[in-house]
Amino acid sequence: MKFSLNIWRQKGPDEKGSFMTYEARDVSAGMSFLEMLDGVNQGLIAKGEEPVAFEQDCREGICGSCSLVINGIPHGPDRGITTCQLYMRRFPDGAAITIEPWRARAFPIIKDLVVDRRALDRVMQAGGYISVNTGGAVDGNVLLISKDQAETAMDAASCIGCGACVAACKNASAMLFVAAKVSHLALLPQGKPERTRRVKAMLGVMDREGFGSCGNQNECEAVCPKGISVRFIAALNREYLRAGVVELGLPAEPESPHAESA
Amino acid sequence: MARPSNHFQSTVGSKIVMALSGLGLVIYVIFHMLGNLQVFEGSHALNGYAAFLREMPILLWTARAGLLSIVVLHIMLAIQLTLRNRRARPVAYVVRQYRQASFSSRTMAASGLVLLLFIIFHLLHLTAGVIDSSSADRLDAEGHRDVYGKIIHAFQNPFIVALYLAGQLGLGLHLNHAVTSSLQTLGLEHAAFNRLFKAAGPTVALLVVLGNAAIILAIFLGIVRG
Amino acid sequence: MMKLDPRIPAGPLETKWDRHRFSEKLVSPNNKRKITVIVVGTGLAGASAASTLGQLGYQVECFCFQDSPRRAHSIAAQGGINAAKNYQDDGDSVGRLFYDTIKGGDFRSREANVYRLAQVSAQIIDQCVALGIPFAREYGGQLANRSFGGVQVSRTFYCRGQTGQQLLLGAYSALCWQIERGQVTMRPRTEMLDLVVIDGQARGIVVRDLVTGRVSVHTAHAVVLATGGYSNVYYLSTNATGSNVTATYRAWKQGAAFANPCFTQIHPTAIPPGDAHQAKLTLMSESLRNDGRLWVPKAAADYRSPGDIPAAERDYFLERRYPRFGNLAPRDLASRAVKAVCDEGRGIGPGGHGVYLDFADVIDQQGLDVVRERYGNLFDMYQRITGEDAYHAPMRIYPAPHYTMGGLWVDYNLMSTVPGLFVIGEANFADHGANRLGASSLMQGLADGYLILPYTIGHYLATAKLISVGEDHKESRAALQRVTNRVGRLLNAKGHRTAASFHREVGKLLWNHCGMSRNEEGLKSALTSIPSLREEFWRDVMVPGSGEIFNQELEYAGRVADYLEFAELLCHDALHREESCGAHFREEFQTDEGEPQRDDSRFSYVAAWEYREGASPTLHKEPLAFEFVAPTRRSYQ
Repeated sequence: MKFSLNIWRQKGPDEKGSFMTYEARDVSAGMSFLEMLDGVNQGLIAKGEEPVAFEQDCREGICGSCSLVINGIPHGPDRGITTCQLYMRRFPDGAAITIEPWRARAFPIIKDLVVDRRALDRVMQAGGYISVNTGGAVDGNVLLISKDQAETAMDAASCIGCGACVAACKNASAMLFVAAKVSHLALLPQGKPERTRRVKAMLGVMDREGFGSCGNQNECEAVCPKGISVRFIAALNREYLRAGVVELGLPAEPESPHAESA
Repeated sequence: MARPSNHFQSTVGSKIVMALSGLGLVIYVIFHMLGNLQVFEGSHALNGYAAFLREMPILLWTARAGLLSIVVLHIMLAIQLTLRNRRARPVAYVVRQYRQASFSSRTMAASGLVLLLFIIFHLLHLTAGVIDSSSADRLDAEGHRDVYGKIIHAFQNPFIVALYLAGQLGLGLHLNHAVTSSLQTLGLEHAAFNRLFKAAGPTVALLVVLGNAAIILAIFLGIVRG
Repeated sequence: MMKLDPRIPAGPLETKWDRHRFSEKLVSPNNKRKITVIVVGTGLAGASAASTLGQLGYQVECFCFQDSPRRAHSIAAQGGINAAKNYQDDGDSVGRLFYDTIKGGDFRSREANVYRLAQVSAQIIDQCVALGIPFAREYGGQLANRSFGGVQVSRTFYCRGQTGQQLLLGAYSALCWQIERGQVTMRPRTEMLDLVVIDGQARGIVVRDLVTGRVSVHTAHAVVLATGGYSNVYYLSTNATGSNVTATYRAWKQGAAFANPCFTQIHPTAIPPGDAHQAKLTLMSESLRNDGRLWVPKAAADYRSPGDIPAAERDYFLERRYPRFGNLAPRDLASRAVKAVCDEGRGIGPGGHGVYLDFADVIDQQGLDVVRERYGNLFDMYQRITGEDAYHAPMRIYPAPHYTMGGLWVDYNLMSTVPGLFVIGEANFADHGANRLGASSLMQGLADGYLILPYTIGHYLATAKLISVGEDHKESRAALQRVTNRVGRLLNAKGHRTAASFHREVGKLLWNHCGMSRNEEGLKSALTSIPSLREEFWRDVMVPGSGEIFNQELEYAGRVADYLEFAELLCHDALHREESCGAHFREEFQTDEGEPQRDDSRFSYVAAWEYREGASPTLHKEPLAFEFVAPTRRSYQ
């Protein structure tokens, strides 16, 4: 098989980028999309040219590294997978394929198709955890958690942090990402004590990082490789409203242990 | 002491205020349509209804002021969020395909703008009577202001009818996404009701547009006459 | 001269760890603030160690080469994590988990370490639950378990098929907390390229910032390596493409002994390699062997489609060789059995690299729906990759390099032969002996990071004499120079071949001569081929671009250069170990039935190799004393 690739090339964060066209030859149907790109790069390197930079690691759809907008859809034309799980048999021979990086102000381009997604880490650092010290935890069966609740928490927790939701959103909003983490922790008894602070802090950082607002268009859900539902966004909104109510009703809430950093 | 105002300055907070104000406007739009449907009952009913509203000037003007402030709030937040969202993606994609984001959800700013222009026109046209002053202050047989006669006169003009129908299109597109979206923003989500919530937007949009368009077309086609 | 002192506490096995912890010196809280610890790697071991050390009050500087600590390859572990909780009341205990692990490792691991691992296993689960990890639950709300990897009890805790992901995200969230508190400074996209040793103590690392290309020295009071395993030396493996040996290999060159490098686990059920451009092998969960039957045609070169081969002409080779365990035989035995039938020319699929994993019987007996429910996601994954429908034709599978039991040698305190250099998780050699059981790697990574290292490192920091050092120390500058020279050499070769082509070549060489089975002749030939390949690499490699930019090819070429050296160490170890044990199978040492023959009289030791410049590595032996279990022949027949 043979493909014509239209790839975004950009030397560095502050450089001007542009599209370049490359031919991918001798591609077999059983090759993954990234292996096809590997092939193109091997050709470039052998010629002494700089290969196309793109992010990848586990190549089995779980690490969340790979991040390409393929013909206008993050992670490409198939649903429920990451780019690394996309195979070339999905494309007709001779097709032209346009490859762009995740585009968002919060994800500045480092080079070519590689973007800086540390904004998501900073959102997590604001409160995407349960502050429990190592050691001294009570027995795992002390707090019973119903099967349904554990399964729903797991649905939310399966987020791989790839950022496709941001890339797909018309507003470059990170709501599905934040919703997944906030919902996961709010659903479990262990996460409840900090839920008020958590939702406010995480959304605060989300805003500061320059993500857009949620327009409830649900495009994020459609490209999410883990199929995380927008129902969690409603749950996040609810958590946020709840936090507002708690703060109104309990002005004398004890000082949060994180007050100095929140 | 937590300040609740801070709570609504975040994007999610702004969205919540937008949802609440929007739903308020939706309720107004529904009542507005129901009130106007009285055109089918003849001039007596409609003009009586209009007179009834005018009998309580304080209430009327309070309602108008309230509506106006809700509209202003809604629009200001919309502008604020839209600008923010534009900034959030400084470089656009060259190729873009949507999988499930509906047309109406992607054109909320545009349909909102159409709606705003239409409302201004509508107010100038029928409330203030600036556009067409020929039938402004006539009285009907019972001494009420002849609202009925005014709209019958207005919708004889095909240009005005086309403009009003276009306004309805903007309204329908806006409501189609707005109602469901507001429920989601307010965190209303439950396995048992999600289909209902999903259907709420298109249903409300359809009913309001059908009701309003029926009035316009019925007059234009001569089904309802002066 | 290197001395191996395992520092195993004396006394009864059950109380070694408790007594050891009590006798350890502590660092006072106000001193902890002044102590910096470097942690390299943010997988289960690294993230859990960094977060716990931060929580204890140390200043932690944490490095990973990925764009976020959450991407470390622990995330891909599917099956689960073992713990001796005995929630099922099916006879599990610390002792049984200990024994299973020792036996599974074919009696090539340290009793005291393995016992401690089993002891702390239960606490790991409690810690993970407290961190909000959504483990599978029973209807009554209690934690669920399943059985795994051929043991006789249900002790595996799991989160669907994403246990590694959930445990890693839990450790990552703990790390996030410490980052927010200012206890941990996180440096993603930073690769460790050398170790700084001052006065015989590990005092820092040299790193390259992968975005700017800047090479710099970071000094600290101790260095913790949690940099994972080296299966990627085989080119094709189930590891992430970024996983590499560089950090541990560089530490080896600075004096840390490398133990048992030849113990590399080959996982039996991966999707067979396809064309030459393939970048990695995808694992199909071991759980498939609960219901699938492995077979090949009885006759060689039988090219009929599987449906046309009648039952009488099929060889269900695992059931034939291991009637008691059948298709559930342990990983090492199953992998070798697959290789054996393929070597006889009976393999199926492209190149004869594959055997059938057939679900026809279970579909007949229990119905398509049951199979779909149990393995649907795996069948989908198989279809996506191969384009074949495994519901109607058998799957094709082939073994793939997966996990490395070998690693840097550590004592009971997880400290290497370089004082102040601690090694945890897959990067050390410690607990799995010559073969690892399923669902044990997650357990070991978290045990090391959460519960063991934070104690033992304290004793070192409290007792060691540590002078103040910085970037301008002459050893720091020398290490920096080494790295700069090496980066320069890679960029200046300007040859004609890509780093990947060398990687593929050395990987193939190792797979053929030091893979699932090894023999003297093959290993010797590999040992002569590797140096010439390495020489060609340095002469003819092409690395475009410069060192001062984001340059993925430069990163990769550096890792390949280390594989080309490390491969030799691997072969040396495999050649010297003249026995078959666990994953290490020497063809010369097998019974008449083709079963491995262990030699406890000659090889009951840990082989720890010392680097010597310009010469073959020197072997040091740490004898393994079995006081509490008697080594037996590991039989699954």
